Formats: sequence, structure tokens, C-alpha cells
Amino acid sequence: MGDKPLAMVVEDDADLAEIFSQALLSAGFETQMINDGRKALDRLAEVAPAVVVLDLHLPSVSGVDILQHIRADARLGATRVLITTADPSTAQVLEEQADLVLIKPVSFTQLRDLAARLAMTMSS
Amino acid sequence: MIKLIQQFLDTSATDPDDRRRSRLLNVLLLSLFFFSFIGLLATFAYDIVESDPSIRTLYVGVLSMMAGIGGIYLINRYGSGSLARVLFVLLITAMAALIDEPQQVAEGRSLLTFAIPITISSVLLHPSASFGLAALSSAIVSFIAFRLGWIPNLFAIITLFVVAFVAWISARSLERSLQEVRTLNAVLDQRVAERTRELAEALNENQAILEGIADGVAVFDNTGQVTMVNPAIVYLLGRPAEEIVGRGVDALLGETVNAENREVIRSLLQSRETRRAGFRFDWGRKTFSASFAPVLNDAGIATGVVAVFHDVTREAELERMKSRFVAMVSHELRTPLNAILGYADMLKETIYGALSEKQLDVVGRIAANAKRQSVLVNDLLDQSQIEAGTLALCVAPFKPIDLVDDAFAGMAVLAQRKGLALTHHIADNVPPLVLADRQRLHQVLANLVNNAIKFTEKGSVELRILRPDAEHWTFEIADTGAGIPAEVRQDIFEPFRRADDSLTRREIGVGLGLSIAKQLVTLMGGEILLESEVGRGSTFTILLPLTPADKE
Repeated sequence: MGDKPLAMVVEDDADLAEIFSQALLSAGFETQMINDGRKALDRLAEVAPAVVVLDLHLPSVSGVDILQHIRADARLGATRVLITTADPSTAQVLEEQADLVLIKPVSFTQLRDLAARLAMTMSS
Repeated sequence: MIKLIQQFLDTSATDPDDRRRSRLLNVLLLSLFFFSFIGLLATFAYDIVESDPSIRTLYVGVLSMMAGIGGIYLINRYGSGSLARVLFVLLITAMAALIDEPQQVAEGRSLLTFAIPITISSVLLHPSASFGLAALSSAIVSFIAFRLGWIPNLFAIITLFVVAFVAWISARSLERSLQEVRTLNAVLDQRVAERTRELAEALNENQAILEGIADGVAVFDNTGQVTMVNPAIVYLLGRPAEEIVGRGVDALLGETVNAENREVIRSLLQSRETRRAGFRFDWGRKTFSASFAPVLNDAGIATGVVAVFHDVTREAELERMKSRFVAMVSHELRTPLNAILGYADMLKETIYGALSEKQLDVVGRIAANAKRQSVLVNDLLDQSQIEAGTLALCVAPFKPIDLVDDAFAGMAVLAQRKGLALTHHIADNVPPLVLADRQRLHQVLANLVNNAIKFTEKGSVELRILRPDAEHWTFEIADTGAGIPAEVRQDIFEPFRRADDSLTRREIGVGLGLSIAKQLVTLMGGEILLESEVGRGSTFTILLPLTPADKE
């Protein structure tokens, strides 16, 4: 604990959250699961995660609002944001602001391999 | 004056022959009255010039003549026409008998005066009445002759009968001609009545169609004014016809149709062309489909436009419900499938601890089935999106070689397992970057490559990317498999069809793959061609208009 980078999984589907967070764990991150937009904003006020895996459809506050919040906050300047969405058309819109847009379904191995590469770039 | 005479001549008779005779009688009475009056004046003048005691008889004769004429006229007008006519004939006969000295009447110059009542009777009473009058006249002449002690003049009597015969012939042919004219008239009248009734029926039929149909119908003239609406449009709009007829299209559509749609409808009306395919628009709370047709006159020139408004509110609602339902169902089906796949992956990757060989095998089967199911769900979703016309292409630049890599990923294992050679060829003139929907193109190629491997037992499967001309690209998938019989070559592109129903479900799914591939290619503006020889193999060729991209 402590030396591992923090990854935040913001996803309201419990199963997907579990799969994403296991993939990030396998890739060497410490993970935290949050199932609500408001709670995510609260938590982001306290910590600055290295990676945020962000679902767009969330209760209370939308993923797009959270993305904009992260981009507006200088403290979170180093945070990499991975958007997960089922709609390919939003992918093009958000490509500018997000570090990566993943079209659902996102498989365990796909996210694990991606996260592993990300962890490598961060440590180097 | 003429009217007055007409009125004077008019009779109350209804039978056409009766009427004609009575009118003729009136004419004769009038002219006779006129001559009697002249006679009276002449008598008066004679009386002044020369005093003759026998003049009184003349006065009595003329005045009683005039009185007789008046009486007969009154009987003709208000009493029995036939009685008046008989009386008139008798009056004329009497006149003929008394007009001259008895010697002259019996044998002299006035004998043939009887020709007048004989002729008149054939016209006025009946054609054959002339013989009766000839007999009467003969009797009178004979009577006077006997009184004078003479033998009646037989030649004169025969002459009278000859006159009667001629009068009879003339009157009869006259009556026959009149009869024929009347019959002809009656036939014509009947024909006119029939045509009028037929026309009225045709009009009623059209009116009934117009009033009976459930679609709203409005007819516009060339100035764009509504000239007619049917009851359905009144019912559909809930506005009385008076508010619509005689006004323009804007008054008909009102504010509840948005400005853009109003403009489209106005231009469709102005074009005066037939447009059967409905233009769909929202009108108040309802959705309508409008079709248009010109109203042409006999010369083929448009005198207006008829617009038919079909209420498609229910269909539109169902379509919206269907797409919502499909989107919802596919999302709900896919989410748990993805979770199943994710957990299976994690078990396989031993995230939750090491598994035995048997357990790994089972996890592999779970993942394979979940994948198959998600392909089916995606196919159904694609099919419904294509049908609804909501499938959008996502065009971006990419490398053509990526398509080969994508299509062969996962397939190499399948080919290897069957001992097939899986090869590719990219022509030299294919540029390094292309602008297309990579995801959808991959879907089409993967489907065709997958099918090719499935139906080939030995030999090879090759994917070729060629560029026959500057605008067109071809993607060829050639196999050395069983081939596709000519009779099913069209069917295999239909949804829910398979070339061979004996194939197991595992091999082919629900049969949407090729149908979707074809529809996607069509959506991209291209076509799929199939060449096949049973026992030798098949080649699917996708012909696509594609443009090279400058940069990624």
C-alpha cells in the first residue's frame, strides 16, 4: 500500500466495477470503486488518483460533468481519464478531453493490458 | 299582345290530341269571329246606303253567328272540348246550308261550301268524321233539293265524299306524323332522364367515396385556395369546413404544423406533381402522412391539386416504442453478458486462484457461449437499427492492413484447427490510409472470413484487397470450400435464411450475419457479389466506393 498508484473506478454497475477494478489491480494499481457521481466528486476533492475509469451514465452527476471537473482542477492535472461508453458517437466528442475512450463492452484482459501499459509509462 | 293571344287560345285539356284540336278550334273561332265582325260592319254600311227591309234577317244572322261563336268558345274553354267542336262543326254546316239561296245550295254555286265543314271536321273531330259530315251535307243538300221538287245532284254528293276522302287521308297522315313525333319525343325524354340519373349516380358514388374514406382530403385550386374538403378532414382536425374552405394552405395547417414542414407542404402543392409516398409531419398531437396529385382537366392541364392526409399517429407511436424497446432490450441483454464474459476472463486469468484443467475448460465454454450470445444480440440490434434507418456510419481514416489484422484476429486459431491456409493479399495501388467506417467494415469482413472457414474443409481462405480504379475498392474473400448452389445464392442474403438448414445452430447462429453484411455494404454505397462453383469454392466480392485519406 502507498507505493502503488491509485485508480478510481466510477461505475454504477457492481459487476463491471468489480471486473474493472480487478483488471486494474492485476495491472498493479490500488483501486477504489465508486458507484455514484456525487460521491466521486467528493472523493476527488480528497485524493488525486493516477487513473480514473469513468462511466458516462451515472446517478446524481454525469460522467461528462466529472470529466470537466477533473480537467478544470489543476490539482488533478496528472490524472489520466479513461471513459467507458456503449455509444461510439460520444467517443468522438470526448476524445479531446479524455485520455482514452473505451467502447463497451470493455473486456477484463483489454483493460488489464491497457492499464499495465499506462502504469509503465507513469513509472518511467 | 302575342301573350294575350296565347292566353286566349289556351285550353284546359290535358290529352295532347284534345289540346291540339281545342286550340285549333279557338283559332278558327277567333278568325270566324273576326270575319263575322267584318260582316256586321258591312251589313251596317249596306244598311246606311240602302234601306232594305230584309236587312234585319242579315243582322239576326250575323249577330246569332257571333253569339254562337262566343258560346262555343266558352264551352270549349270551361266545358267539354269535344262538345264545343261538334257544335262548331254543326254551326259551320248550318252556315253552309243557310249562306245562300236554297236553289244555289242544292244545285248551284254554294254547293261546295259544304267542303269547309267536311275538311274542318276531319281535322277538328277525327279523320273519319269527314265521311259523317259528307253524309250530313248530302242529306241537307238532298233535303233542300226535295223541298224544291228536284232530284238531288248525285255528282255533287259524290264530289262531297271525294272531298271527305281527301280530308280523311290528309288528317290521318297528319295525326300519324304527330303520333310519331310524340313517340320520338317520349323516347328522347326517357333517354335524357336515364342519362341524368346515371350521371347523378356516378356523382353520388364519387361523393360517397370521398365522404366514406377515413383519410382527410382537401382540394386546392391553382391559387392555392382550398375549394373542397371531405368530412374526414373536418373530423381529424376538429374544425368546421367553413373555417378551411376558401382559404389558403396556411389556414388549413395552422400554427400546429411547424414552419419548416409548412414550407415543404406548400412547395409540394405548388409543384403540382404526383407524390404518392407520404410526406410525414406532426400536426398538433397527431402525425400525418400527406400525398399529393394534380387535378387535370380534359386537356391535361393542372387546374389544382388534391392532397390526402393519412393519420399515421399510431404507426409513428409504435415505431418509437419499437426502437425504444429494442434499444432497452439490447442494453439489458448485453450488460449481464459482459459481466459473464468478464468473470469468465478473470477465472481464466486465475485472479481468484488457480483452476484445474477441467475447470479451465468449463470457464472457456462459458466464455465461448457468452460471446456467441453477444454476437446474436448485436446482430439483432444491427438488424433493427438498419430496418429503422437509425444505423449511422462512423467514418475515420485507418490503414487497410488493419482490416486484415482485425478480420484474422481469432480466426487464425479456427483455420489452424481445420488445417486451412489463411492468407491475404493487398494490391500495390492500395494507398496506406483509407477513409471508412472501420468497425462496420470489419464486421462485414469478419463475417465473410468466418463463414469461409466454417464451410471449407481443406485448402485455403484468402482475403484480397484490390483497387480496380481510383474510386472503387474490392475486398475479396475466396475459399476452396463446398460452394453454394445457384438456387440458394440469392436466399443466403435474406434475414433468417441459411444455405443449408441441416447445419447445426452452433455453426451459423440465427442467420442474420450475411443479411447484415449485405445491408451494411449497401449502406456504405457498395454491393456484394458472389461467384461460386459447387465442389470448387466460393468468392464473395465487396465492391465499395472509397476515398484514400491524407492523414490519420
